[in-house]
Amino acid sequence: MTESMLSLVGVGKNFKEVEALTHVDLEITSGQVIGLVGGNGAGKTTLLRLMAGVMEPTKGSVLFKGERVSSMRSKLGVVPESTGLYSRLTAWENIRYHSRIYGIDDQVAWNRVSHFAKQLDLTESLSRHTKGFSRGMRQKTALLRALAHGPDILLLDEPTAGLDVTSARTVRKLVGQLRDEGGTVIYSTHHLAEAEQVCDRIVIVHNGTIRADGSPQELLDLTHKDTLEEAYVALTSDKARLRTEDDTKESKLAKWWRIFLTGKTPDSEGVEEDE
Amino acid sequence: MSKSWRFISTIAKKEIVEFLRDWRTLLALVVIPLLIFPALFIALPLLLESEAAELDALELEIVWQGDYNTDLEESFNNTNIKFTFEAMPVNISNLSDIGDDLDRIRTLDTQAVFRLQANDSEWKFAILYLSTSEASNEARSRIITAVGEWESDVVNGTLVEADLDPEATLNPVKWDGDWESADAATKGEQAGLALSLFIPMVIAIWTASSAIQPSIDMTAGERERGTLEALLCLPCSRLELLAGKWLAVASITSAGVALQIGGLLFAITYLASSSLIGVPSVSFASIFLLLGAVVIFAVMVVAFELALAMKAHSVKEAGSLLGPAILFIIFPALFTQVINLDTIESWWFAIPLVNILLAMRELLLDRVILEHVLVWLCSSVFYAGLAAWFAAKQFNREDLVASLS
Repeated sequence: MTESMLSLVGVGKNFKEVEALTHVDLEITSGQVIGLVGGNGAGKTTLLRLMAGVMEPTKGSVLFKGERVSSMRSKLGVVPESTGLYSRLTAWENIRYHSRIYGIDDQVAWNRVSHFAKQLDLTESLSRHTKGFSRGMRQKTALLRALAHGPDILLLDEPTAGLDVTSARTVRKLVGQLRDEGGTVIYSTHHLAEAEQVCDRIVIVHNGTIRADGSPQELLDLTHKDTLEEAYVALTSDKARLRTEDDTKESKLAKWWRIFLTGKTPDSEGVEEDE
Repeated sequence: MSKSWRFISTIAKKEIVEFLRDWRTLLALVVIPLLIFPALFIALPLLLESEAAELDALELEIVWQGDYNTDLEESFNNTNIKFTFEAMPVNISNLSDIGDDLDRIRTLDTQAVFRLQANDSEWKFAILYLSTSEASNEARSRIITAVGEWESDVVNGTLVEADLDPEATLNPVKWDGDWESADAATKGEQAGLALSLFIPMVIAIWTASSAIQPSIDMTAGERERGTLEALLCLPCSRLELLAGKWLAVASITSAGVALQIGGLLFAITYLASSSLIGVPSVSFASIFLLLGAVVIFAVMVVAFELALAMKAHSVKEAGSLLGPAILFIIFPALFTQVINLDTIESWWFAIPLVNILLAMRELLLDRVILEHVLVWLCSSVFYAGLAAWFAAKQFNREDLVASLS
């Protein structure tokens, strides 16, 4: 039986003048792999960060089993895109650091990690410093770190980005296994084929809004298309925002200083842009 | 163990372990602080001594031009100088006119030229030398010493001939007894005064400068390496994260300062055995307050540096923010050394940074003035709190996550 895990109700997120997310309603139930699919700057990462409780929404609420998610972070496991490993620590030390903060006994964490490390073929590397790790090994270590405390939901931001075929396959296989064991995984990606392969449900994010939410078949039915790619194009046909959440308005001082150094006046800039 | 303490201690432990695994850090924070004072106070004087001995043993070749004097030549006995006698050059306007001797002095064919001329009842002399050469300077020094001795003999002889007592004539006012025993300050107090002139400055500058690298590494470094986002996803609060990082930086900095003070005490003990400087006599109350002042100072500086580093988006940006910020420590530290403590007003002890430095100076002199202690203690705690609040504000910024690449 599925139960509601994460609820996003009327969630909006602004970064100064930039509206990164507009009125998002989403219900995440247990035992599913949910794919967040969208292009660059669509708002996937912001959505994931709101779900992870590291950001507060400008409006609306993000709840984990009815509680504010920021106070329930111990129930989540997060693998950010950057993996966030310390190169002067070994893989196990990286994992242990996080699990200790989660309040997990070292032996318990080790037992969990050993179990998953075998499947990811990383057992031998757990005692190695992560400095020389490949992208795939880093990603696998970050996955183990996120699993060590036995989270209720796993949030993965582009988990296969930059991985070779074998590593990507191993990661996808593990995600499938977690789902089979009743786990809940939120999987952000911009590869439709991957989402179709891994996810039970796909949420298409575009220009800060949710354009569609359903199983691959439901998306096809909704758009009357034959392939998911065509369905995606149909759902996101308006021009994508080129802004990222990093874009903030240049301060007056910074603008004045830039003009002083480059000798360009606002007028001449306008002419150049027009050209 | 409370949850918060578990978070803080885990973060601090990890930061310290990771930081100490870098050999450059060990060199900068362990070896250098430990060796800097022994090198400054022991090795440098030993080196200077050995260089001076080497120079003393040097045989110098000097040209003596003009008139000859037997008594003067006797004064040169045991000076290890070999003379070559020459006639006085004719084409010079006075004895200091180098004339044709320029080249051989510049090429050090001779270390110096000594010119002497008898003129009725007086003697005139000049020494031509090269001030940029150690040997030439040494030659000049030895000649001046010998000429001084000879001059003294000449003056004494003239006074005796005039039936005068040279000692009573030349030195009619004398200090009676040992001048050191006339000082009411004890050796320990004198040592305290000497140390108070540089210890506060060294502690202040070292605390501030040694906190820079770990502060940057644990904040802007984390942002740049992309490890901060994973850290922010953990169930600890930002304040606990700040506290853990603060504890790590403060521990690393304190270890550096403690090692430096250890090195200093070793150097002082060495110097005390050679009676150049005594061991300062400071009461337990002063030592306790001194440690308190250092701790409050460290709280303030480390929190401020962490906050500034957290403001930056990259290690480079943090470096360019914190580099100049060290000047705000160096200048007050320098100026504080010249402030007269005898007539100082209490409000001086309320000025940020200056108050701690003045407090350290007073305490090293073993002066515990209650009014001053209260002012610097309250104002410093306030400033440290302000710095901690500023740091907490920086750590709570949402764009810590949002601006990551």
